[in-house]
Formats: sequence, structure tokens, C-alpha cells
Amino acid sequence: MGELINIFIKSAFIENLALSYFLGMCSYLAVSKTVKTAFGLGLAVIFVLAITMPINWAINTYLLGEGGMFGTDLTFLRLILFIAVIASMVQLVEMVVEKYSPSLYNSLGIFLPLITVNCAILGGSLFMVSKEYGFAESVSFGLGGGFGWFLAIIAIAAIREKIRYSDVPAPLRGLGMAFLLTGLMGLAFMSLMGIDLAAFN
Amino acid sequence: MHSTNQVIKFVLIMTTLVALTLAGLFTFLKPVHEANEALYNKKAILSAVATKLDTPLSEMSGEQIEDLFKTSIDQKVVNQRGEEMSEADVVAAGYKGGKAEHVKIRKEKKKSDADRLLPFYTYTNAKGEKSYIVSIVGNGLWDEIWGNIALEADGSTIAGVAFDHQGETPGLGAEIKDNTSWKNQFSGKELYAANGDFKSIAVVKGGSKGGPHEVDGISGATITADGVAEMMDRGMSYYQPYFQKIKK
Amino acid sequence: MAEAAVAKKQGMTFGKNEKKLLVDPLSTNNPITVQVLGICSALAVTTGMKNSLVMAIAVVFVTMFSSLITSALRNAIPKQVRMIVQLVIIATLVTIVELTLKAVSYDSYKQLSVFIGLIITNCIVMGRLEAFAMGNDPYRSALDGIGNGLGYGVILMAIAFVRELFGKGEFFGLKIIGASPEYWVDTAAEGSWMGWYQPNNLMILFPAAMFVIAVMIWIHRAWKPQLVDVS
Repeated sequence: MGELINIFIKSAFIENLALSYFLGMCSYLAVSKTVKTAFGLGLAVIFVLAITMPINWAINTYLLGEGGMFGTDLTFLRLILFIAVIASMVQLVEMVVEKYSPSLYNSLGIFLPLITVNCAILGGSLFMVSKEYGFAESVSFGLGGGFGWFLAIIAIAAIREKIRYSDVPAPLRGLGMAFLLTGLMGLAFMSLMGIDLAAFN
Repeated sequence: MHSTNQVIKFVLIMTTLVALTLAGLFTFLKPVHEANEALYNKKAILSAVATKLDTPLSEMSGEQIEDLFKTSIDQKVVNQRGEEMSEADVVAAGYKGGKAEHVKIRKEKKKSDADRLLPFYTYTNAKGEKSYIVSIVGNGLWDEIWGNIALEADGSTIAGVAFDHQGETPGLGAEIKDNTSWKNQFSGKELYAANGDFKSIAVVKGGSKGGPHEVDGISGATITADGVAEMMDRGMSYYQPYFQKIKK
Repeated sequence: MAEAAVAKKQGMTFGKNEKKLLVDPLSTNNPITVQVLGICSALAVTTGMKNSLVMAIAVVFVTMFSSLITSALRNAIPKQVRMIVQLVIIATLVTIVELTLKAVSYDSYKQLSVFIGLIITNCIVMGRLEAFAMGNDPYRSALDGIGNGLGYGVILMAIAFVRELFGKGEFFGLKIIGASPEYWVDTAAEGSWMGWYQPNNLMILFPAAMFVIAVMIWIHRAWKPQLVDVS
């Protein structure tokens, strides 16, 4: 259990997908103008990461590996299957949410298509493979990674809301400032590298 | 709009085409991939004795490296009890080639101490001088780190080190691989104290005093550097029974 | 999207419109600094120029062929599964790139690791398919793909140039300036006019890429004020 909590904390704070690896930047920059929309997208990312990660883990272990169902090395299909799983899961989630919770759909729905091409989702699955995580570990990594991304986008959105009242040089307004801020947040997050994970065990 | 039938037909045709193309390319390139991987590994082993080579590794072609490896490296696999393992044992442990160069140390890390296979290389230069190269693995900040350590013929003095990592931060933890002057510090350090006890190299934060068992840390990468120290201590101790044996 | 209407006439001519397709993405419609697409990989691989060049070539290859194939199939692709079909085309091309790179340059393959795979989710590729290739003929789509790939590559190389030079004192892995005799200009040597320079490790860290892009956007928009964000 301690190991899983470690992975959660590590993926949420230390290896933050948005601020340490700068993954999912397209939607991160495009949808961080207000906290309200950022909140919706952040939730959707947690949701999709936590679902796709274990599925991709199962595909990678039971279908593609040499010890898998077909007995041969099918790793060249990994990218295609991963992205297909992500795209179809996103569509499935969209349909389920629309059917059973129209209110959630109204706040989350428009962000779901954006998530398919969010590199944080595919990146998470690829990192999971290169780190050779097991099933429980990949669930924990998915949740933690999603939570970290959620935190990052909420933080930048809050800062961008405030900075609208500041006198920023015209060419830096909007996008330029968002990049600078993300860089500074990345530096701030680097200080979390010093967290002693053994303390949580 | 296309009918469901058409959609299914289109998807089926596309999937078949894609799968066939990729499978073909994959099978076609597989021998090249395997050769590249083997060469990369040999380079990593040889770079531990980089200071002893006549030409730097970066200036050698792939064939020259293969050649050098074949003529100057003698390899065996040992275990923690100091026994040499036969090729059949190595194959039984899951490595088809049966030689030390086929052992994947990152895979060995997951096994229990007693079951681990330990690759052991002996490098002999043109003058017939020997040095030993061993492979160790441990944890850095983000992920695994591993490396090859070369020892002089006395089995105590370090001749050179080469580290690699899965995902340390570029500019911080990744310096263990990229920073040559940091790695050069290890050369000439000792694994045995004057009284003959095993004593590994410590990585000292804030500057070492130049003692035979310590090197400088890397600023901003304390955890990775500590990981290196821990890896050396544990990894080298695995090899001690075998070193005791060859000393006799 | 305005550019979807470009070039309704067919044929393999190379006129003003075609040139626009190639050149626009390099500056006024740059995918990174103007359209804000494809940032993820731009940051991670720009610590050295060599990796960036490999990445840029890979992306140009993928954007060009995915545009070409999607455009050629645009009337056959069923609308219901459009997204998945596009993703499969892109993923196939990326896998081809990955397999080839692993065979040609194993070192680069090791260093770029997951970031080659992440080209799939590089929004430039998908964005161009949706905005251009689904509505134009294969020839012009391919040009558009090359243009956008190059626009991405140029920025990538520029960021890498700044980061590698100031971070390591190197250019394409060749040591240029630094306080050690193994560099081309030994800045620590007595009488060296560049004796002040000490490679700045900050430039190698991830956040530095953010700062470099921000400064680039600043310069770009100061030079072309019509791009300034008014909101």
C-alpha cells in the first residue's frame, strides 16, 4: 500500500505531467483563461487518465508482450492500440456521461474531445510502459498524474485571471505571459523534488 | 453519411493494411534493431575503460567496436556466492544468448539477491594488463539508474565509471551520464580501506576533501547522487565473494 | 478556418497560393508561436540541437504523409469514425518513424524515447488534418503539411540553439565556449576575451524552454503587431 501512495505522491507533485514534463500543453494553454473551465478540463483529465492507464496496461501485458496471448512480440502495434483505446474511451465516457448525468455533461462535455489529443494521456501510458509498472501501480500512477495535471491547470488559470489587471507589455499579453508563468511554476515545482518518499511508508 | 456496412468494410480494410505494413517493416528491421541494441550495450561496457583505449569510442565505427569487444573482453556470469555460472544456467534464467552481455541488469534488479545473475567482464589491453568491469543497478530520483564500473587488476582501485539512467532531469541528475569531469573523479578511488575492509565510495554534498573513498556531489541532484553511492555500495558488495576468489 | 477555402482550383501548379502554404507557417501563422500547437514535444527535446533536428525531420515526415494520405482518402473516410481513422493514420506513420529511427540511429532513439511516440498527440498534425487536409486536394495538403512541419522545426531548432549554446556552450554537440581546454574557445584561458562565460545550467532545465519560447513570442509579436493578443 505504501508503495502505491508513494507513486501517487510522486506522480502528482514530483513528476508532475504538466510542470515537470510539460505534457498536455496545448489544451493547458488554450483552456486556462478562467478557473471554471480549467476545473472542468482538469476533472476530465483525471477521469480519462485513471481509466485508460489500466486498460492500456492490460493490452500491453496480455496482448503485445512476448508472454502475451499471441506469444510473439507485437510491440510495434503499441502506439496504434494505445491511441485507439484513448480515443474510444473518451467517446464512451462522453456517451455515458451524456446519458446518465446531463448536468455533468454540460460542464465536462465540451472538453472531452480535446482530451484525445492531450499528450498527457498518451504520455502517461507510455511512461507507464517504460517504468514497467504493474496493474495497481498503473492505477495509482493514472490517478496521481491526473491530479497533478488538474492542480497545475487550476493554478495557472487562477494566476491568469488575476494577471489580466496587470500592465503587461502588449506583445507578451496572453500567450507570452502564460509561457513565462508556466516556466516559473515549473521552477517552483522543482523544489518538490526534495520530498523524502520514505517518510510516507 | 456512410452506411454501417461501409464503415465496417473501410475499417477492416484499413486495419489489415496498417497491420501488414507495420508487421512487415518490423520483421524486416528486427535484425538491425537487435544488432544496434547489442552494440549500444558493448559501447556502454567499454566506456567504463574509456581511459585505457587507444582511440576514443566516439571515433570508432560500429565494426571496430564489435572487433575490440571480441578481442579484448572476456566475459562470464557469476552469482552472489562467487560461483561462475554455466551458459546453460544463464539460458535457463531467460537470456537466449547465454553470455554476460545478454544479461539485462535492469531485469535482474527485480529478482531476489540470491537469484541475481552478475555479469563480469575482464578487459585486457595490448600490453596484457587486466582490468575488471562489473555492472550495477540502483534507483535515481525519477527512475532506475545503472552503470558499469571498471576496476584495476588489484580489484580495489577504480579505473573508470560509466552511468546511464532512465529519466533523470537533464542538467541535474542526468549529469551522472553526461558530465565527464564528474565521472573522472572516480578514477583512482579505492573500494578497500587500508585495513582490508570493503568500503564503498561516498558522494559528499558540498565538496569532498579528496579522500580515497569520496567524490563530490552534483549540485541540485542530491537524490540522484545519493542513488549512485547506494548503488555502488550494494552493487559492488554483490561481487565481493567472486573477487575474493580470484584474488586467491 | 480561413485557409480551408484556399486553393479550390486543382492541378499540380506551383503558384502564389502554393508558396503561401509553405511559407506562412514559418512566420505569420507559425504553429508554435501563433497557433499554440505542438508545444509538448517542443519543450522536452530541445536541450540539444541534434535531438531537435531528428524530431523536426520526424514531424515533417509525419505531417506531410498524414496530410497526403488523409486528403487522398477524404471522400472515402466515413464521417462517423473520422477521428479514429485520422489517429490510426498518424499512429502508423509515427510507428514507421520509430522503427526506422531505431534502426538508423539507436542513440537518438534512446534519447528521444517516449517523445517520438508523442508525435501522435502533437496537435499540429491532427490540427492540419482537420483544418486543411479534409477539404483540399492531396498535392496542396502535402505542401501545407510540409509548411507546418517546417514551421515547427524552425522554432524547435531556434529554441535548441539558445538552450544548447548557453546551457552547455555547445553547438550540435561540438564544444564551443566554456571554461575548459577541451572547448573550442577556452574562456578560462588567460587573455581570452570571452573569459566571462560560464555555461548556465538553468538553460538545460525544462522551465528554461518556457522562458525561451516566451521571449520568442515577445520578439515575434513586437515585430508583427497584428498578432498581439487583444483579449
